Amino acid sequence: MRIVCPFCGERELGEFTYLGDAKPQRPAADAGEEAVYDYVYLRDNVAGVMSEHWYHGGGCRAWLKVTRNTLTHEISAVEPAAGAGAAKVGA
Amino acid sequence: MADFSWDIRSPLDRALTSGPYGAQGEAGVSLTEIRNFGLVQVMARRGKAGEMAKAAKAQFGVAAPETPKAVDTADATLIWSGPDQFLVLSKGGKHTMESLAPGFAGSASLSDQSHARALISVSGGKACAMLAKLSSIDLHPDVFAVGAAAATSMDHTSVTLWRGKDRADRQSVFNLLVFATFAESLWHTILDSAAEYGATIGHSEELA
Repeated sequence: MRIVCPFCGERELGEFTYLGDAKPQRPAADAGEEAVYDYVYLRDNVAGVMSEHWYHGGGCRAWLKVTRNTLTHEISAVEPAAGAGAAKVGA
Repeated sequence: MADFSWDIRSPLDRALTSGPYGAQGEAGVSLTEIRNFGLVQVMARRGKAGEMAKAAKAQFGVAAPETPKAVDTADATLIWSGPDQFLVLSKGGKHTMESLAPGFAGSASLSDQSHARALISVSGGKACAMLAKLSSIDLHPDVFAVGAAAATSMDHTSVTLWRGKDRADRQSVFNLLVFATFAESLWHTILDSAAEYGATIGHSEELA
């Protein structure tokens, strides 16, 4: 598997580290115990297209958001994660 | 209180033996460790990438690389090291934290890496073939031309790699910066890789 880093170009998997699901958002401070429990511990086991965080530690050290199909390993999109390379992150 | 004497020694001091290595005959690879260089990491503060770029232009007279490239200035090489960051490499430490800090005040954070990395210059007719064993990057001159740079890994070790100007005899030149504590390990891997082509080993204070 190869990932096309938006900063470096196409690189082998060995340069990257997997973090996991990019979907969970930190709940508000007053969201309650259940929301925090969900955010910290509960993960979907997606069979199909999933949004994931990957770290290009063996390269430019940027965090990336990768859209990957867990059944086929097909990668349909790679973008910088929030805060990675201010120049490229629009939002 | 005990007295300490701090000697500045290359991270490759123990491993590097000048002279020929590997196959006999005309050496296919030259391995030269560059010593006594200055290296400062410049990283834009959040939202200040534009200001940092302006400061770099004012400081060096040329734009700092915003894509994986190495740019030569009158007295330094600016090497891309990641998004919104670059390294300032200079012979003998011409550019230091002290000399760069005023120009980048407010736009970027600086970090002295002069003694944190080893710099190895790999050149010769077989330099590309030798590095191909260690790198998954396509180093063919059509793809990785003079001035191309990459933040990548070799032998599971992070390196900053860039192609320098060809030697006077038109042979390829590659420079690589590696973390000081990993330098000896990578050096041995490079020697193994270069042995079949024959290597000339040495050290210098001149940037390639």
